[in-house]
Amino acid sequence: MSTAAGHDAADRAGRLQRVAELLAEAVTPQQVLDAILTDGVRAAEAHAGAIGVLDEDGETIELLAQHGYSPEVMAGWASFSLDAPLPMSDVVRSGEPLFITSLAERNRLYPALASQGRDGHALVVLPLAVEGEVFGGLSLSFDRDLEFEPERRELKIAFARQAAQALARSRLYAAEQAMRRRMTFLAEAGQLLGSSLDYNRTLRRLAQLCVPRLADWCAIDILGPGGEIERLAVAHEDPEKVRWARELQERYPPDRDAQRGVANVLRTGEPEFLPTIPQELLDEAIGDDEELRRIVDELGLTSSIAVPLNARGRTLGALSLVTAETHPPFTKADFDLAIELARRAAVAVDNARLYREAERGANAARALAYVAEGVVLLDGEGIVRHWNPAAAAITGVREEDAVGRPVSTVVPAWEALTAHVPLVAPGAAARPVTVPLVLDGREHWVAVTGVDFGQGAVYALQDVSEEHALEKARSDFVATASHELRTPLAAVYGAVRTLRRRDLELSEDDGEQFLEMIESEATRLARIVDQILLAGQLDADAVELELAECDPSEVAASVIESAGLHVPETISLSLDADGAPRISCDEHKLRQVLVNLVDNAVKYSPGGGRIELRVRGNGNGSCVIDVVDEGLGIPPGERERVFEKFYRLDPGLTHGVGGSGLGLYICRELVERMDGRLSVDSEPGRGSRFTLELPAR
Amino acid sequence: MLVVDDEHAIRLLCRVNLAASGIDVLEAEDGRQALELARTERPDLVLLDVMMPDVDGWTVARELAADDQTRDIPVVFLTARAEAADKRMGEQLGGVGYLVKPFDPVSIGDYVDDVLDRIERGERDELRRGITSAGEP
Repeated sequence: MSTAAGHDAADRAGRLQRVAELLAEAVTPQQVLDAILTDGVRAAEAHAGAIGVLDEDGETIELLAQHGYSPEVMAGWASFSLDAPLPMSDVVRSGEPLFITSLAERNRLYPALASQGRDGHALVVLPLAVEGEVFGGLSLSFDRDLEFEPERRELKIAFARQAAQALARSRLYAAEQAMRRRMTFLAEAGQLLGSSLDYNRTLRRLAQLCVPRLADWCAIDILGPGGEIERLAVAHEDPEKVRWARELQERYPPDRDAQRGVANVLRTGEPEFLPTIPQELLDEAIGDDEELRRIVDELGLTSSIAVPLNARGRTLGALSLVTAETHPPFTKADFDLAIELARRAAVAVDNARLYREAERGANAARALAYVAEGVVLLDGEGIVRHWNPAAAAITGVREEDAVGRPVSTVVPAWEALTAHVPLVAPGAAARPVTVPLVLDGREHWVAVTGVDFGQGAVYALQDVSEEHALEKARSDFVATASHELRTPLAAVYGAVRTLRRRDLELSEDDGEQFLEMIESEATRLARIVDQILLAGQLDADAVELELAECDPSEVAASVIESAGLHVPETISLSLDADGAPRISCDEHKLRQVLVNLVDNAVKYSPGGGRIELRVRGNGNGSCVIDVVDEGLGIPPGERERVFEKFYRLDPGLTHGVGGSGLGLYICRELVERMDGRLSVDSEPGRGSRFTLELPAR
Repeated sequence: MLVVDDEHAIRLLCRVNLAASGIDVLEAEDGRQALELARTERPDLVLLDVMMPDVDGWTVARELAADDQTRDIPVVFLTARAEAADKRMGEQLGGVGYLVKPFDPVSIGDYVDDVLDRIERGERDELRRGITSAGEP
């Protein structure tokens, strides 16, 4: 070895050492490629270099980067087959370095290159391998023919080894970074998807999340209940472009039967991945529409992914991602990420829908459980399928004793109950029919409506026993009032007719009696009419009180005095008013109450007896008045009911105790309006005591 | 004849107007008294109120019909109960007339004479059926 040659060798080793340092510092694949192709190529004294790597399927070599070649030379060499008769294909296949010293040798070895008429000189192609596995090749071209001495060969092989390691490391690092980014993205998307049950809103935010990190464009379509495609979201960084896309969507609505794209994905449930969007596909979609062509050209779409949102065997929608002006075309990793993202989104949508359905179901069950109407669902065979708590309460049959059994055995009276209830079609107005239902000996009145929905019938039952009783009381009242009005009317009319009788000479005593009769019966008539009117006013809350200081003992005394004028001789009236306090109340109303109570005592003492008014103070300034009789009394179960409107102890009136059924109702209403209380204590057969308590003012 | 009513005014009206037609009147102010007087005095006719304390008019009519001594005494109801169901009850209980209050006391004497004449002529059943089919006198 000459000194010059030795110097050269040391020089080369030093240059290689510097490149090795640069490679060690490089982190990203681009930095590594730069270090190899600029510093490395120069250190190798080559004038150009290129790096090719095997793609994922291991059949194609893709040219990652080159330096020093003219673009025309490289045109058409972006990727080529591993089997091609080319230097780099041979090297990657064999794993052996290739040293070609001259153009002649190259043309001999690779006639295909020769036939293309490419010139050149010495060429070195080195395998890029890590741990014995070849993943690509590095080619170095020289501007002259060269004989490579063993030492130079070794140096180049060493350089390729270092380059391979740096490149593999950086690629691994890049892959890990990409993986980390994807995991981060998936985590963020997962958090977003789990954040709300409003999945429409969530999916819109998900589309926003996808751009620009995952793609330039993201769209989400949802399948409607009728199979229609609803574009839920379109996202792009530029809102102007989103508007475009929306307009495009409106102008060119998706064809549900299309063999490609979202419609196809929605129909088949299979994903679609186009690493590059073939121009013929775009042409096909554009057709002759020049405007559309202009728009599509401007969009510059490069690759696309469309993945279905599948959950529990159903396709709910699709997620589409497209790369265009900024994002590199999608890789297999992007596709996998999209599938994972779609899977998670589908689960979220499905969960939200299930939750809503469950909630709707739960709400419906709640409504049925708490609604006041009894709801009964029968299937086509008349078997009870639903029996809500109100139905159980009305019929007295528990849900567990009803569901699953024929309704005719559940409620034997069912046939009779529903015989007159017309079954209407769903949505038609159903008029309730009120029918009696005897259960355990008790008569209920039930308003029933029925709807026939094809596979069965739904009945709604409402217990209207109280309304019915009130209605009956009202009609009883008409009969009673009629009697109460007819009797005094008969007396007045009869007296006048008799007095005007010319053929009759009345004794002075009889004549006087007739005049008195007219006066007293007319007064009685007026009082009954007053009561009916007063009850009406109380109902309408139109009674006004005139409060003033008054002495209840005085009022009681005057009531006893006037009652004494018309009570039967068998009844004795007495007053026990001992030091009652003066109170503030409506004296007229108090008198009305006491007159009513005394009249009532007289009416219910047909056998006569004592009726006493006791007036006293009870210490705290309030006044207590008892009206005590020795009459028929009131059975225990009826004591509160006597204060109900139209309630009568003797509704048939067969015992002759007349009355409007309003007296005690009016009494209690008036007393309560004066902030007092009216109660009754009684022993059947021994008499009653009505106690009126009025507060001090 | 016997007038039964718990209302003093109605009894007075009947007594005065029937007396003007020359009819003697006995008065009872409740059902129990009416039954007693009917048995002891055997009146030609009973003018009977329905709504009375304790023993009502329906009961009186039923008991009169059930008793051999009083079975033939004709009963005319005089009542404020004006509904069809009440008139049917009056017919079922064997009444021969049904007057609804308010009534004209001036014509009561002629009405009673007419009822008694027709019973005399054997038209008792026609009178009874007339309660629900015909109008008032």
